[in-house]
Amino acid sequence: MVLTLPILASAALSAETPAVFENSFLAWLTNSIFVTAIVVGVIVWIVRSCTRKLELIPGAGQNFLEAVVEGAYGAAESILGDKMTRKAFPLLATLFIFILMSNWFGLLPGVGSIGWGVKEGFLSLKEMEVPLLRATTADLNMTFALAAVSMILWFYWTMRVTGPVGFIKELFGVKGGMSGPILLFLVPLFLFIGLLEVVSILVRPISLSFRLYGNISAGENMMGTMINIGNMFHCPHWLTAVLSVIVPIPFYFLELLVGFLQAMIFTVLVVVYLQLSTTHEEH
Amino acid sequence: MITQILSNFGVTWPHFIAQTLLFLIALYVLSRYAYAPILNILEERRKRIEEGQLNAEKIKKQLAEAELRYQEVLRKANDDAQILVEESRKNNEAFSQREMDRAVKESAAIVDRARAEIASERVRMVDEVKREMVSLVIKTTASVAGKVLTQDDQKRLTEEAQKSLAA
Repeated sequence: MVLTLPILASAALSAETPAVFENSFLAWLTNSIFVTAIVVGVIVWIVRSCTRKLELIPGAGQNFLEAVVEGAYGAAESILGDKMTRKAFPLLATLFIFILMSNWFGLLPGVGSIGWGVKEGFLSLKEMEVPLLRATTADLNMTFALAAVSMILWFYWTMRVTGPVGFIKELFGVKGGMSGPILLFLVPLFLFIGLLEVVSILVRPISLSFRLYGNISAGENMMGTMINIGNMFHCPHWLTAVLSVIVPIPFYFLELLVGFLQAMIFTVLVVVYLQLSTTHEEH
Repeated sequence: MITQILSNFGVTWPHFIAQTLLFLIALYVLSRYAYAPILNILEERRKRIEEGQLNAEKIKKQLAEAELRYQEVLRKANDDAQILVEESRKNNEAFSQREMDRAVKESAAIVDRARAEIASERVRMVDEVKREMVSLVIKTTASVAGKVLTQDDQKRLTEEAQKSLAA
């Protein structure tokens, strides 16, 4: 337990601003915002290079992007139906692509391991204080932003489809077409259920953002632990170096899978929220 | 408490807004330059494929109709050819028959002419033999009798010889 303390201490809960920017106009530029900008830049570059010259007979890049878009559209359409998918698809696909790329970007060598800290020799740190790059989905600001945008658009689309009265009826109304004296018992019950539903809706942004943040942060911590496992057991320097390369390999594959799954879970949950509040109106 | 929790996790308005804006930029860029054009091109390709399938069906139908027309034309041509062959065969038979009849007639005429010629030649030869015989009879009689025969004798001897030759 004692051995793990330095590792846990090195994995900060939040994104950090490098000391050189702290008292300047770039104080808002944390290491995760910097990574977000890189990820957005990479997405823009890939998309522009794949779609600069769209043709009916696609090249390799266009073909890849078409496969991604078509697959995602088909999956969303099978849950949301054609009408809602046309509206929500850009958000859903962007959520998936952005979260996936952000999660996988965090696994690149150098992310979390290059930065500022207590020096120990030439180009070497005894302890990392502020990494230059931090996985953007390991920053609660980012995951909150994703959840907030998703829930604001969810509310907007729900209101467009059901209307305020329909939405309130859907939350608090008695379901099942009941009538008569039994309503005296059912109305309070469904009002209570409606309140629970309101609470669950209000909790959604928190659950969405903390789930993603927690999983990716935990993954980063685990990778850091695996890389430093030699130090934890006070192994010789050469063995520590060998272990820092070999031990994390299976965990890289695990984190690749976790990155994909978390992107999928976040997107699917937003799809399900939309489906619950809108699609019954389409039937 | 919530503020304390958020503060512990480094959530601040400037950072939250910056991250939101960056995500919205990604959302805008992908919507503008990826989803819309790609969905359009997928829709266009789907329409092209549908049109292609419809055209293929149409072509298949036209091909079947052309095949039927071809079969019909072929059948009609076969019938016409059969009729022509039949007519030709009949014409040929009639022509052959006519030629055969003509040949038979011609040969019959030739035979008749030959017979007539033979008959006339025979008559001519018989007459000539008779004349020779009469002349011979008169000469022989004159020699045997030792006198010159008168006109009446010659006439009588000629008539007698002719009678005996005719018998």
